[in-house]
Amino acid sequence: MAETKISEYVTLVSNDGYEFKILRSAACVAGTIRKAMDPASGFKEAIESRMTFENLNGLVLEQVCLYLYYHQKHAEARDVPDPDVPQELLLELLMAAEYLQV
Amino acid sequence: MAAERSKKRKRDQEEAIAKIKKGKEAKKKASKKKKRGSGDDSGSDYDLVEDMYKKAKKLPGQLENCELCDKRFTVTPYSKAGPEGGLLCTPCGKEIAKEAKANQKTAKPIVRKGRRKIESNRLDGLTQRGVRSLRQICINQLAKHAEDIEEFGEMPETMIDRLSEIFSKRRAMNSTTLKLFLQSDLDKLAIHEAAYLETEDFDQIFAVIPNIKKLVLRNCCQFKDKNIEYMIEKAKKLEEIELRGANLVSNDKWTELFIARGHDLKSFKVEWLDAAFDDQAVEALTTFCPNLERLKLERCKLLGVDTLDAVSRLEKLEHLSLRFSKDVPRDRLVLMVDQIGPNLRTLCLEHFVNNTFEESEEMGEYSDDAILETIHDTCVKLRKLRFTENYECSDQAYVNLFTSWSNPPLRYIDVNSTRDVDNASPEGPEDFPIGLASDGFQALMKHSGSQLQYLDISSCRHISKETFADIFNGEKQYPHLQEINLSFCPVVDTEVVAGIFRSCPQIKKVVTFACFQVEDVVVPRGIVLIGAPKAQDAIEQFGETVFDFQKELKKEMERDMAIATGRVVPLMA
Repeated sequence: MAETKISEYVTLVSNDGYEFKILRSAACVAGTIRKAMDPASGFKEAIESRMTFENLNGLVLEQVCLYLYYHQKHAEARDVPDPDVPQELLLELLMAAEYLQV
Repeated sequence: MAAERSKKRKRDQEEAIAKIKKGKEAKKKASKKKKRGSGDDSGSDYDLVEDMYKKAKKLPGQLENCELCDKRFTVTPYSKAGPEGGLLCTPCGKEIAKEAKANQKTAKPIVRKGRRKIESNRLDGLTQRGVRSLRQICINQLAKHAEDIEEFGEMPETMIDRLSEIFSKRRAMNSTTLKLFLQSDLDKLAIHEAAYLETEDFDQIFAVIPNIKKLVLRNCCQFKDKNIEYMIEKAKKLEEIELRGANLVSNDKWTELFIARGHDLKSFKVEWLDAAFDDQAVEALTTFCPNLERLKLERCKLLGVDTLDAVSRLEKLEHLSLRFSKDVPRDRLVLMVDQIGPNLRTLCLEHFVNNTFEESEEMGEYSDDAILETIHDTCVKLRKLRFTENYECSDQAYVNLFTSWSNPPLRYIDVNSTRDVDNASPEGPEDFPIGLASDGFQALMKHSGSQLQYLDISSCRHISKETFADIFNGEKQYPHLQEINLSFCPVVDTEVVAGIFRSCPQIKKVVTFACFQVEDVVVPRGIVLIGAPKAQDAIEQFGETVFDFQKELKKEMERDMAIATGRVVPLMA
């Protein structure tokens, strides 16, 4: 199993069962996901291209995915305005961001 | 009489205006006629024929069929022209006007919000591309809604620090928001802007966090004697204290604090004290706290010579920053460095100018350059050196300092504003340069170039262009240099800046205020050049072009970028 086929999409699963299929390149903006999905690591996550987050609920994970795509879309641009973040999720999202290293 | 005159003047004015208006109209008509005439001249015969068959435009008062709805209506001066050139009835005209207005609105350029903010970030040297990190975004948003938050909950300490920084920057740190930061399990607290906090709030800190080890309070204007008392009573584990602007604390209380913390105190920093904190307080500090490793005494008005003597007794000192308001004799400064130099890792001596001699005859053996000589002879562990605003030490002294110095290469050097100050000869004495000049700079780069990360040589005006060109010639490499400040070095030109880009693969920020020969630089990608001298240029220029020499580094850069995204850039709001 040295050469695991690298899929274009990865699946992120929240603790309440929501699944988000997003582009691998976008997901790897987050340091934690990048390390877990590194094909060289041989982690279960990397082999299955699927990662479950026991500490994130669907709402927060959705916001994270939105951000990951937003980040990828504007990677080269300068003076990008901050994306809108729902106020009530700010603290949870901050914790998630710290955990995911984004 | 006067009223009559003013009336007359008014009348004259009106007449003049009327005349001008008339003149304008006449001109317009003339030009119109001319246009039509010229059009006829150049147009083909066919056009002419067509013109002849065209119906004349109806004049106001005449009847006409509306171009759009074909209704018959009376033409007025306000009738609008239709899309084909005909006239429109009033309802159709209104409709068309409405549409035109709506179109105009959407075509308006979108004014970007927060332009000032963006410019300010740029001047801070934040060259980040793309979107900011999610952490950063959340923290900024949180600070915006500071008043609505009830508690942070389980927040990692690094996040608390960042939040505190941004709250401070927004001046949102007050009695209410401070409570968010007081969590009993913390062991350090840094409030960078405590001006809105009251005396009671400071007591709260020690009541809630009795195990606090490190305390940083800047602009803590209301920090009083009784806070010190309470701190002594409650916070028994304090090791690092930084208080800026605590002017309501008396000398006796400072001394009491030193006695109470005694051997435990590792780091002590004060700045901007002018009402109290005199030499005796420092004396007490050095007597009762012999384990001090870090000491910063800056802009404390009452400190003088005795402080130097007291500091020289701190044998364990590793980091020292001094900036005095009073003049101190040079020999005492030399003696101090001589005493504690061997252990020092950081030495910052700012604004030690015009050092007068106490007994000038006896101390004749100390030349202007004595301080640099002493640093050369005694310091062997320095990583950071700041020696600024001095106009006495000669270039030769800097050469001697950096030549065969047993100290390993430095990481951080700031020697800004070391130059001769003489209005009569701005170039300074040519045979005997004062301040860091060409030779000194050569020696500096030779000694520390391999490890140097930060270099500030602004206002070192006697460095020649040849020296710059030689040091940054593209072949000599300074692998770690990230930031350089060349402001007010008049010889620096485009070539030198281009040389820096080539010689320093890691460079992130180049500051060139008042370098008037820096023009039209093509800034490589990932680098920011600050201080374009022309008003019409943007002050900062961001690199877009990818140079050949950068292509090799591209892989490396990408890796760096990956690291950078995981990092929180200090103070960005």
